[in-house]
Amino acid sequence: MNEDLILQHGLTLDEFKIIKNYLDRDLTMEELGIFSAMWNEHCCYKTSKKWLKKLPTKNEIVIQGPGENAGIIDIQDNDGIAFKIESHNHPSYIEPFNGSATGVGGILRDIFTMGARPIATLDSIRFGLIESEKTKYLLNGVVHGIGHYGNCIGIPNIGGECEFESTYGFNNLVNAMAVGHVQKDKIFYSKPKSIGGLIVYIGSKTGKDGIHGASMASDVFSEDDEDDKRPSVQVGDPFMEKLLMEGCLELMSLGLIESMQDMGAAGITSSSVEMASKGNVGVLINLDKVPLRQPLSAYEILLSESQERMLAVIDEKNNLKVKEILQKWQIDYEVIGEITNNKRVVFESNNKKVVDLPVDIIVDDAPEYDREFYMPRKRKGKDFDFSNIKLEEIINTLLSNLNYLHKSWVFNQYDSTVMGDTVKEPGQSSGIVKIHGTQKVIGATTDCNPLYIRINPYEGMKYTVAESYRNLIACNINPLAITNNLNFASPLDPNIMGELVLSIDGLKTAAERFNTPIVSGNVSLYNQTNEIPIKPTPVIGMVGSNQDLKKINSNKFCNIGNKILILGKQLEKNLSPYLLQDQNLASNINEYNDLVELDLDYEKKVADCVLKMSDLKYIMSCNDISRGGVFLSLLKMQYKDMGFKVNMPDPIDLFCEYSAGYVIEIMNEDLNNVSSFLSENGVGYLEIGEIIKENIEINSKKFDYFDIINNYHNNFEKIIN
Amino acid sequence: MSFKSAVITFPGSNCDRDALCYLQDLTKGVVYNIWHEEASLPKVDLVILPGGFSFGDYLRSGAMASKSKIINDVIKHANDDRYLLGICNGFQILTEIGLLEGALIQNKNLKFLGKNCFIKKKFKNNFNLSIKEDQVLQIPVAHNEGNFYCDNETLKSLKNNEQIAFEYCKGEFSNSEENINGSIEAIAGITNKKKNILGMMPHPERAYSDFHPSQDGKLIIESLIT
Repeated sequence: MNEDLILQHGLTLDEFKIIKNYLDRDLTMEELGIFSAMWNEHCCYKTSKKWLKKLPTKNEIVIQGPGENAGIIDIQDNDGIAFKIESHNHPSYIEPFNGSATGVGGILRDIFTMGARPIATLDSIRFGLIESEKTKYLLNGVVHGIGHYGNCIGIPNIGGECEFESTYGFNNLVNAMAVGHVQKDKIFYSKPKSIGGLIVYIGSKTGKDGIHGASMASDVFSEDDEDDKRPSVQVGDPFMEKLLMEGCLELMSLGLIESMQDMGAAGITSSSVEMASKGNVGVLINLDKVPLRQPLSAYEILLSESQERMLAVIDEKNNLKVKEILQKWQIDYEVIGEITNNKRVVFESNNKKVVDLPVDIIVDDAPEYDREFYMPRKRKGKDFDFSNIKLEEIINTLLSNLNYLHKSWVFNQYDSTVMGDTVKEPGQSSGIVKIHGTQKVIGATTDCNPLYIRINPYEGMKYTVAESYRNLIACNINPLAITNNLNFASPLDPNIMGELVLSIDGLKTAAERFNTPIVSGNVSLYNQTNEIPIKPTPVIGMVGSNQDLKKINSNKFCNIGNKILILGKQLEKNLSPYLLQDQNLASNINEYNDLVELDLDYEKKVADCVLKMSDLKYIMSCNDISRGGVFLSLLKMQYKDMGFKVNMPDPIDLFCEYSAGYVIEIMNEDLNNVSSFLSENGVGYLEIGEIIKENIEINSKKFDYFDIINNYHNNFEKIIN
Repeated sequence: MSFKSAVITFPGSNCDRDALCYLQDLTKGVVYNIWHEEASLPKVDLVILPGGFSFGDYLRSGAMASKSKIINDVIKHANDDRYLLGICNGFQILTEIGLLEGALIQNKNLKFLGKNCFIKKKFKNNFNLSIKEDQVLQIPVAHNEGNFYCDNETLKSLKNNEQIAFEYCKGEFSNSEENINGSIEAIAGITNKKKNILGMMPHPERAYSDFHPSQDGKLIIESLIT
């Protein structure tokens, strides 16, 4: 086989040699295609596997950890929660609408493949600077795509994040997360149960879209690639997915299916190989039976990433019944093969075996690399000059920076209330939905602090996990588990590889301390275009619960006259990276001081106090403190005609970042109780002011209330248009 | 006499379960869920055509659903002077069937709109009896094509016959626009001349439980039952 062809398939010559030595014969084109799909970074985690293995993935509530379509945790009774986050970065840059829409479609399939009904989605999206017309185009397309797919299928979007930063200019990030509810005794796995089971194809017909999508997603981009790569972006049809979801959930509820696997990245190849590998069995599939949209070669069928397709195993006796139900939902259905006992993956076409490979070599012998990595350099301490920074200026800079502004322009394009169970809509500390027919609620949030992680990957990752944790705690949601989406530039650069290794280590440390295991995830590498690597962006999706809907905290002010308290430890001005960045004090990454070590024990202690005080009903409202400091936290809590009056020895401190930081609102009469409760628990607090009517006052200086509120709510739309 | 009702499900409906819960919780009577391919409707007091993207909004929102098998019986039900409520996509279907006048075109900002909106009643009918004059209701909307349009003559007759049931308005402390989607005269919902058919874009079935930000959606069912 010629070398160019091998390289075009994303395999190295060394990798090809391993295959050839093992098989002791030449490969067919179809087989080369299979290795190209299965041995790329996206499918086999060849760079990250060594490090991912170190993550905590189990505890008493984990029902299913990484390795299945989604992770599942136990939330008592017969209720389980399935969730996962996944990236669709490259497709969303090439074709923002379809790229992001199919990202949502793919993650929803991961959820309902396991028998779970999706109950919420979240999204974490990052773009370059808005001054570029390209960014506006990408932002519009991505938000439209995410909205279109989720709105149409009817799953509420309950939160996420949207950040603008220069390194994402030619490599935007689109990470979509989905959460589903499953009855614990009705979970479906991808592992087939019996030899002789029928392999059935369910869903849309196969077309040419997305051929080699998975290997594209593992490539470094150059700018002029865009047009060439467009045909490998999948096109989604949320209507078909809605039918597929209802059809599959009906089949599962009737027990007509043995196992199921969605045809996502690398299509029928990856889904059938995974089935065989998990069940320790073989598969025999006749490609001539696959429903097609247009004439395709065997090679194309194997690698197509057409959307809205499922592969399932059923018992032959259920064949007619399955067919009948899927007919009602107008879904294509075909028996295309069977489960065999020879542990080989065999595909036939035109009465010829085009692929005949042992499962072992595809999966178990997939390469695993221990790539070289560098530790970050030590940072020298530096003092920044704040003497020229005026309070008014800081507020104005904040209110003209997209990263701080209210993002209703984004989430008003999403349906957040469909299904009728939404408790907290986007724009609050975390999104919350009720488990239908119960009083239980699930909270979810996504976060990442790329600047922190670039400064110090290990500590920065701890801060990222802690921020998600605080988002849930502020709502009185008990954090339970994590899904992660590790977005990095090229791991062939040892500096980038170092960020990957150390941030996974930070994730491990924080997840262990918080007892929030990692149950699912995704890795997206080579996020760089024209030699500009993105900032390290390992996004965390955290899920938690509360058994009683009535115990949830408000994130908005409740009453005029109530006291405002702060918990946590403030980072000094010189040590607050986002303050330094956003006030244009630090321009180069080398200028920042090192991050203050995050004390996870303290973080946990304060969080426990917030949960306890919420249950005791001391807390009237609560919000976490992150980028933008106490001031932005207060602005987010502003509601109706309420404003705030606060005092700080140095008002610039109101904009500093925190560890274990929360703003809480309490009633005057509870002040003594709260004070003694906190001192008993060894947690300090600062009483900084109170809620007042239609005013914002800092150290007795009055600001224009309506100006600030209106700018906060409306400037996002003004700036992007 | 217990109140009986039904919700029709089309392929792509996604508020059918919400509408079923809304009816079950508020009417306490029998609620049927009817698949669009069924030939007949049971005899009920109220039928809801729910929100969603029936048939994927292909062709035009509501156009394909308006040709479904069950629609003949839905028309018969309405001709018997019984209540028919179309919410969001259901409203679009009613205009496609021709049971309601006008059409719903794309929102004026050409974007999907998912947020809380404020409406008040315009002319009295059986669907809004329990709502006071000038009472502002907070109810979520979620639509791409909710911009009500009709010609001048139709508008005149909608007014003369007092067919405008709801109009968008400004809410207290809200800095959002009064007419959120560009509808003619801020129309949020209309009835037929006989006022037993209502189509509305806001979703009352998402504003009735204790944990919803508003319970104003209850008032519509309360109006029909009392």
